[in-house]
Amino acid sequence: MTTETTGTRAHAASEQRPPVEVRYAEELAALAAWDTERGAERPPGWRLSPRAVRAFVVGDEQLGVSRKFYGDDPLVDRAVVALMGRQGLMLVGEPGTAKSMLSELLSAAVSGTSTLTVQGTAATTEDHVRYSWNYALLVSEGPTERSLVPSPVMTGMRAGSLVRFEEITRCAPEIQDTLVSILSEKQLMVPELGPDAREAARPGFNVIATANLKDRGVHEMSAALKRRFSFETVAPVRDRDFEIELVERQLAAELGAPAGRPAVPRDVLEVLVTVFQELRSGITRDGAPVKRPETVMSTAEAVNVAVAASLEARYLGDGRVTAAEVARQVAGVALKGDEEDARRLRHYVDNVVRERARKDKGWKAFFDAAEALWR
Amino acid sequence: MSADTRTGLRDVWEPAPDRLRSAASAMAALREQGVYLAPVRHHSPACAVAVRRAVEELRPAVVLIEGPEEYTRLVPELLHEETHPPVAVLSLPEGRGVPGGASFYPLASFSPEWVALRTASAVGADVRFCDRPATERDPSVSAAVAPATDGPAVSAARQETPGEQDPFARTLMSERYLAHSASVAALARRLGCRDHDELWDHLFESRSPDALVDWRTLFDDVFAWAALSRLDYEDEVLAADGSLDREARMSGRAAEAAGLSPHAPGTPHAPSTPSGPVLVVTGAFHTLALAEALAGLPEGDPVRRRWPDGGYGSPATGDAWLIRYDHERLDGLRGYGAGMPSPGFYERLHAAHARDVETGTVRGAGASAVTAAAITADAGEGPGPGVATEVLVDVARAAADRGHQVSTPQVAAAAVAASRLAELRLRPVPGRTDVLDAITSCFVTDDGGIGPERPLGLAIAEVFGGRAVGRVPEGGAVPPLVRDARERVRAVGLDIETTVPRTARLDARRTPAHRARRQVLALLDLLDCGFGRQLSGPDHVAGRGLGLIGEEWEYCWTPVVEARLVELSHLGATVDAAGVTLLRQEEERLRADGAQAAADGVAVLVARAAVVGLTEHLPRLVGLLTRTLDTDRDLGSVVAGTRRLLGLWRSRVELGLVVGSAGSGGAARGRTGTAEGGGVADELLTLVAQALATAAYLVPDAGHAGPDDEEAAVVSVLELRALARDTRRAWADRSGSGGPAADGVPGAGRTGAPGPGPGAAAARRTTGTAVAAIGREPAAAVVRELARLRDDETTAPAVRGALLAVGSVDGDVPDDVLVAAVRGALRPGADPALAVRFLGGVLRAAPDLLLHTPELFDAVDGALRDLAPDAFLAVLPDLRRGFTWLRPTETHRLAERVAERTGSRAADVDVRVRIDENDLAAGLAVERELAAVLARDGLAHWTGGQS
Repeated sequence: MTTETTGTRAHAASEQRPPVEVRYAEELAALAAWDTERGAERPPGWRLSPRAVRAFVVGDEQLGVSRKFYGDDPLVDRAVVALMGRQGLMLVGEPGTAKSMLSELLSAAVSGTSTLTVQGTAATTEDHVRYSWNYALLVSEGPTERSLVPSPVMTGMRAGSLVRFEEITRCAPEIQDTLVSILSEKQLMVPELGPDAREAARPGFNVIATANLKDRGVHEMSAALKRRFSFETVAPVRDRDFEIELVERQLAAELGAPAGRPAVPRDVLEVLVTVFQELRSGITRDGAPVKRPETVMSTAEAVNVAVAASLEARYLGDGRVTAAEVARQVAGVALKGDEEDARRLRHYVDNVVRERARKDKGWKAFFDAAEALWR
Repeated sequence: MSADTRTGLRDVWEPAPDRLRSAASAMAALREQGVYLAPVRHHSPACAVAVRRAVEELRPAVVLIEGPEEYTRLVPELLHEETHPPVAVLSLPEGRGVPGGASFYPLASFSPEWVALRTASAVGADVRFCDRPATERDPSVSAAVAPATDGPAVSAARQETPGEQDPFARTLMSERYLAHSASVAALARRLGCRDHDELWDHLFESRSPDALVDWRTLFDDVFAWAALSRLDYEDEVLAADGSLDREARMSGRAAEAAGLSPHAPGTPHAPSTPSGPVLVVTGAFHTLALAEALAGLPEGDPVRRRWPDGGYGSPATGDAWLIRYDHERLDGLRGYGAGMPSPGFYERLHAAHARDVETGTVRGAGASAVTAAAITADAGEGPGPGVATEVLVDVARAAADRGHQVSTPQVAAAAVAASRLAELRLRPVPGRTDVLDAITSCFVTDDGGIGPERPLGLAIAEVFGGRAVGRVPEGGAVPPLVRDARERVRAVGLDIETTVPRTARLDARRTPAHRARRQVLALLDLLDCGFGRQLSGPDHVAGRGLGLIGEEWEYCWTPVVEARLVELSHLGATVDAAGVTLLRQEEERLRADGAQAAADGVAVLVARAAVVGLTEHLPRLVGLLTRTLDTDRDLGSVVAGTRRLLGLWRSRVELGLVVGSAGSGGAARGRTGTAEGGGVADELLTLVAQALATAAYLVPDAGHAGPDDEEAAVVSVLELRALARDTRRAWADRSGSGGPAADGVPGAGRTGAPGPGPGAAAARRTTGTAVAAIGREPAAAVVRELARLRDDETTAPAVRGALLAVGSVDGDVPDDVLVAAVRGALRPGADPALAVRFLGGVLRAAPDLLLHTPELFDAVDGALRDLAPDAFLAVLPDLRRGFTWLRPTETHRLAERVAERTGSRAADVDVRVRIDENDLAAGLAVERELAAVLARDGLAHWTGGQS
């Protein structure tokens, strides 16, 4: 794991998606210089001062630092402060609300690395959280420092770095609970190396976990673990124009520059984002209530729909993306075959879209395509 | 402190616009002449501390406070030792016809105005209010101006969203301009503050008492903050809402008090130079205008031009009452727009500041122990824990009381987080948002956030909102509520001189005066003050007797009624306000039920508000109903609620929900209904349409009803179909008659309504055209869903049967389709139980079809004949039940048909057999057993069977 961390920088150029600290290396350097210039105090083990960390996430025009996280600045403040405390930081919220991105940004700014990461899955074991062994060495040398393979958590404790634990609720509760003693005692016992062998966390160590509490296939968190985290709920974007902009940007990132692909016109994006926002909030922009589907109507899903619609137009259609493609994809991609959700969407189309279709061509295309899906 | 000699501006003024710089210099110059302008934000502890210090230091001869000048008369009452804030001065509109009612001038212990009052009196200053009289305001004007009004504005305006704000609880201290100023918003963004409240905290409330007692600096800074936002508004806007008139009055009064000649400002006015300085405490938004006007700057012209030639003369007089107030209504966050939010928090902050000043922690403290004690009667002794920690501990306790446990380490962590947040945000001490963020960070242990309805959210509301209730001296004037009730009752011509019960016979539909009477009677009935009770007539709330035209009430004004009204005085200053409070309480209860709230329950509330004539509140209640409809999953409740709404709409004329109809009837009161009623009636109908959409969504549920719920589902579906039909008619009435305004003739809307039958189709077509003109067909979704359900073979059989039957009645389903469907459902081999449920549905919906459609009769007859005997017995009870929907004459005609078919006499078929179901079942069982025995013995042919 340690070799991987040091190797990242060297291969950055050839990587599909270099880590945050590589992508924004210049900004981080500028912020560090700003700290030095101001004589700002850095919490023990931190690369930057809290204000600089904040500036890295929400941007600072004067320092030439771009904004990377949108929507909720006080949440960023709270997250930064939480990381200074004894408790870990738990970012919860629906999928697609940029929880992971926020945790990457914070780790990169605070510790200079965002790669000390445990990816939580149903198959995550205690070894991934504590340590495991290089079995060849273990057989030849027995349990020694050399044969011990530290987990990202252990590495983070040694280095005094932030450790990211993604999707923690996907792990079995007993695996999650491995963190309880680490977070409260800030040390990790290694009985195999002797009765007193332990790894003590250096200042700067802390854990940022991300979790989804409502999705299917997630586990409960124990009360003991919950107590060791500060919870922050990351909410979906509420501003329509801003979400359109986000989708546009993401679309460019996914499919390349608009020149090389069927353009998704602004009015189509508007229809798409409006549909997502209204179904997500359960209320139309005119204030009429609609039924909220169970499925997650996140910005990320909206991007998926836009991508799929664009691909459909390119390979199956006439190369023009219209609201009709969007309608078909919303039904298919977003409402993953749930009958009740399909009914909700139908209700929405019947009552809201039908009305708009009378006056607006874009909505009419959406309506006709959606109607065709269940007639 | 560099005392009065300081006329130059501090360096920080360098980048300010010229207009502000010259005004700031003018303010300093005015100080030289003994006129001290104290710009404050209402309910700001920081300003309160500064005001107090300014008074103690200057020992002014006169203190002028922004507030209607007739309040000066109440100064002794305000200074009374039994008066404890929060209190408010209540003004009622002069003409009873002014919509909206009372306005309040609230004072909390931490309001600069309150502190000015008390401190000024302690140093022997002459205290006067100096603003335009409350009765001179014109609400219609201010309501029309885009961002409405600001400041302790006499014309405190309505919020932009009618229904959000209680028009009876208008405050004279709303601050809309500041909240909407682009400069303030830009500044907030730049400093990383989420709104103008946090910006204010960041700039001012976070200052230590040390800094606050330097009142010159604080006032200069507050002035700059408010003046910047003032520059965002043109004089036209400020003139239109009366700001300039008010500023003219305030500056004119200040000039008079200071002995400055109003027409040659800046020159002393020989005769009446006061014996000391004049301190003018006003909302900071007005300070720019006051300074420019008093100093004779050219920008002050618009204000100076408004000064009357002969001066303002003696102070205006007018009625006003000192009433107790509470933190709940003081809280800007709760929608009353009373300035700063969270009075509970700022009260603590102010108490802490006062403690610091008291104990000499602050440099230069100790000016006057008397005034200090007067301001902070219950501030404890000695330095306490920081306000943040205190608040965190209290929130933790309040949350624990409600079942959300917060551990001591969590509180400690939150205290640390609050200071670190403050540090991160560059504030010396944690402010309100820092503490709130610390709570969010450390007390929440799931993804639900604070949640206004959750224990933690309620705890925060309690601690930040505060629970303080003020006190006023005993023996004041008659509580306005009693007076108002008397006036209202008298105004509608009800006799209150005797204590003998009297009867009123009312025809609310045709006589507007009767309508007004009914509203007053119903309103006092809602207050449960024992004044009157309804003996007969339509009950719009229960939805009974809606066709009745006359109604009868018995009433009597007794001392008991007055006593009860005194008891209810806390509910509001007027009968309307008290009624609103009660409705609100009920509304809160329904809101608390959340997802369980039934749409029908809310519809009842809407009906209640309509009946008592509180039409201004209908939009809000309608909003609640809109949300409830969204969560209500019970088709029955949605349908019942919608029916109630439609009933209200139909009675719109007699309920005064229509433009023009309330005019003469409500003349006694000039109710707002006049202006908004048409909208309300329309809104009700729109809501009906929306409710139908919800019902349409729930229709498929009825289709999935199990055998036990099937009957309820059939009833709901049938009612829904009737409702859809009625709504279409209502919609047609509305659009066809050129709007409800023209619908003055009683029952005009109903005359054209045809019953189901040949004419219905034509009517539907007409409706269709009319509706198309509006661009909307309210019942279409319902009709569509019902049709879907009807054509779906998997629909619960009784529901499907019922829908097919009504479809046939309505002419939507041809007879042959119906017959085919019935044949299909009853075909040999079909599950007899399902078949009978289906038949039951048909009979429930339209029993007479069986008589009018021979093919249907044949189909049923044939199917029943073909049923195996066992199966027939099993379904017999349900079958019998199904046929009970026929009327006796129909039963007889059916019997005749059956007799004809079977060759017996109708009398033998249609006979009342005095045996019960059990007897029949037992008899049939015996018969069956006998047949089996005979068959076993090879004698089956005795019973007609094959051997």
